[in-house]
Amino acid sequence: MDPWMKFVWAGLLGVFIWRMIPTARHWLKNGPRGSSKEWMTTAMLLGGVVLFVLILMKSV
Amino acid sequence: MADSTPISRSSESILATNTVLRNTYALLAMTLLFSAVMAVVSMSVGIPRGAAMICTLAGIGIMMFVLPKFQNSTAGIGLVFLCTGLLGLGIGPMIAAYLSYPNGPATVATAMAGTGGIFLALSGYVLTTKKDFSFMGGFLMVGLIVLFGAIIVSLFTAMPALNMAISAGMILLMSGFLLFDTSRIINGGETNYINATVSLFINIFNIFTSLLHLLGVMGDD
Repeated sequence: MDPWMKFVWAGLLGVFIWRMIPTARHWLKNGPRGSSKEWMTTAMLLGGVVLFVLILMKSV
Repeated sequence: MADSTPISRSSESILATNTVLRNTYALLAMTLLFSAVMAVVSMSVGIPRGAAMICTLAGIGIMMFVLPKFQNSTAGIGLVFLCTGLLGLGIGPMIAAYLSYPNGPATVATAMAGTGGIFLALSGYVLTTKKDFSFMGGFLMVGLIVLFGAIIVSLFTAMPALNMAISAGMILLMSGFLLFDTSRIINGGETNYINATVSLFINIFNIFTSLLHLLGVMGDD
């Protein structure tokens, strides 16, 4: 990647981060809290995604 | 709201949700197809990488700054096609590069199938169980900020392991966003199908590019 592309991408990502920080703060402060059961369900679903990706990586 | 059990709602509310859901998936299917066509056009024409990057930046810029102003009008639909088409044009050179490798076509096909599989499985789970995943909002936002910081670091350092970790993290994070965004549609948190379509498109787009990167590395390409 050309150096100018790197700086453009870095600038764009910096803008994203700058814009997302207030939203993240709002969600952390006012967002609903998940129970341990809900987090366990989420972890199992994402674990399934990890397993699926690993199988795909082995198959290539 | 933190309870993940299905929420009992009025029939009007359920009808409105079903309408948003139907419109979202219809528009998502059309934009994915349009983006794929634009990617093929980009590969056929042989768009240079610099031009492809400008297309990607223009697509992201329209999504961030223009689309929110037109999200409640019919012009918003045209803008969704414009930005997803630009993203398709932008991804063309990357797909062309992977296709030029010995095992490239199989890698690209596997990445497409894998992305479809992840999307169908996670969306299907949320649509079937109607669980509320809004509790993930803060976690996903913080995760995205950390990941963007890592991408900035990776731009200026030559660390293949970091690039792989970013791709893996992106797949996980976007999978989480698929659960979050779909549950927001199902539970009435997102009532605008243009916004919903753009969110799901971005999730699918990022999963595909990250999966392509991981599979490309594993295929010694």
